[in-house]
Amino acid sequence: MIKQTGIWFWPLVMAVLSAAGLLSALLADGVWDWVSVLTLGAVSATALYFSLGRSRPRRA
Amino acid sequence: MPSAKSLRIWSWLHTWTSLVCTLFMLLLCLTGLPLIFHHEIGHLLGTEAEPVEMPADTPRINLDRVIEIGEQRNPDLTGVFLSQDIDDDRVWYLSMAPTTASQTGFKQVAVDARSGEVLAEPQLESGFMYIVFSLHVDLFAGLPGMLFLGLMGVFLLISLVSGALLYGPFMRKLEFGEVRRERSKRLKWLDLHNVLGIVTLVWFLVVGATGVINAWGDLLVKLWQNNELSEMLAPYQGQPAPASHGSLHAAVESALRYEPEMEVLFVAFPGSSFSSPYHYAVFMHGDQPLTSRMAKPVLVDSVSAQVTDARELPWYLKALQISQPLHFGDYGGRGLQLLWALLDVITIVVLGSGLYLWVAKRRRPASKETLGRSPGTEEVQ
Repeated sequence: MIKQTGIWFWPLVMAVLSAAGLLSALLADGVWDWVSVLTLGAVSATALYFSLGRSRPRRA
Repeated sequence: MPSAKSLRIWSWLHTWTSLVCTLFMLLLCLTGLPLIFHHEIGHLLGTEAEPVEMPADTPRINLDRVIEIGEQRNPDLTGVFLSQDIDDDRVWYLSMAPTTASQTGFKQVAVDARSGEVLAEPQLESGFMYIVFSLHVDLFAGLPGMLFLGLMGVFLLISLVSGALLYGPFMRKLEFGEVRRERSKRLKWLDLHNVLGIVTLVWFLVVGATGVINAWGDLLVKLWQNNELSEMLAPYQGQPAPASHGSLHAAVESALRYEPEMEVLFVAFPGSSFSSPYHYAVFMHGDQPLTSRMAKPVLVDSVSAQVTDARELPWYLKALQISQPLHFGDYGGRGLQLLWALLDVITIVVLGSGLYLWVAKRRRPASKETLGRSPGTEEVQ
């Protein structure tokens, strides 16, 4: 059960960041455009990090 | 923990819905990339209207003059629609065709709203961006092409959901983002497919779902014309169409007086597909981020210039209008635009790796190192 929660923790973070990014610039202007860029930017950066990584991520 | 049987079902669904739509989705991602930058490309190609700087309160010319300017350029055509960009009221785009009922043969004239100068004559039915746009929207096949791509989008959505359901079982022995690069090419691409797919899942779902809604756009507009618009036109039923129409400018002034808080998005001329034989249909929009995307039709009698009806659009057209920015990514400035392109490229990698995994599995079905019969069962059994 704990393992299962672990599997979905980061995907859920990505989902929440994506949803926040998609909506904030749509619903408001100004600083909210930046919120969109930061959140969706974090999602894109995560994808880039894992595609360009050379070997396993270091284990804690 | 999902049962082996449901895993097999998800796996089957993921494989086959993906296979059906992947080539079309690759086409849509590739053609979508230049479409994200259509303004910038238009600027480079010199096809974009570039109004010169003038004080913001420079008076605007009469709209009937805009029509005259268009008719001087295209004496054999008549005005059908007049529009402007949501965030730029310095340019009027006059779309012209042989008749107001024409479906093809359109030309457009971009007229400076302050000087009356013709800024550009965008090509609507030829050129690089027209080809890209048609491939993206309808494969040059009109409504059937749109609906076909919409159906491919539905397959994509099923594939995304079933793929997400397979993510859990696949990751039981892996950490988030772990890519096994050293064991085999196939395993590396499987892990990349999984991590890139799950990271971009919500974005891909939203762009896919809004694309499907856009594919239904023409039908939704027809539905509105048959229901709400004909209701609005009921008082005119059986009347002959007026022999000549009054001033466009007066009609737009009436609409602006009726909705003083709103701005003009576009005007459909009498007899055109978004209006009636008796009206200038003035579609107005608000000035808030959300209301700026929501058109409200104000029907103005083409002879008397009186507003005869104005109603909010029904929920399904509101859904269509909200789904457009969410599909185009054009609502958060340059930063969001660039991220849209980046996410589009990542999506191409997810699609391409999915296709590769299927091909590789078929080529080496019995290999120990690669997967078993169905991708969902490897880590589970």
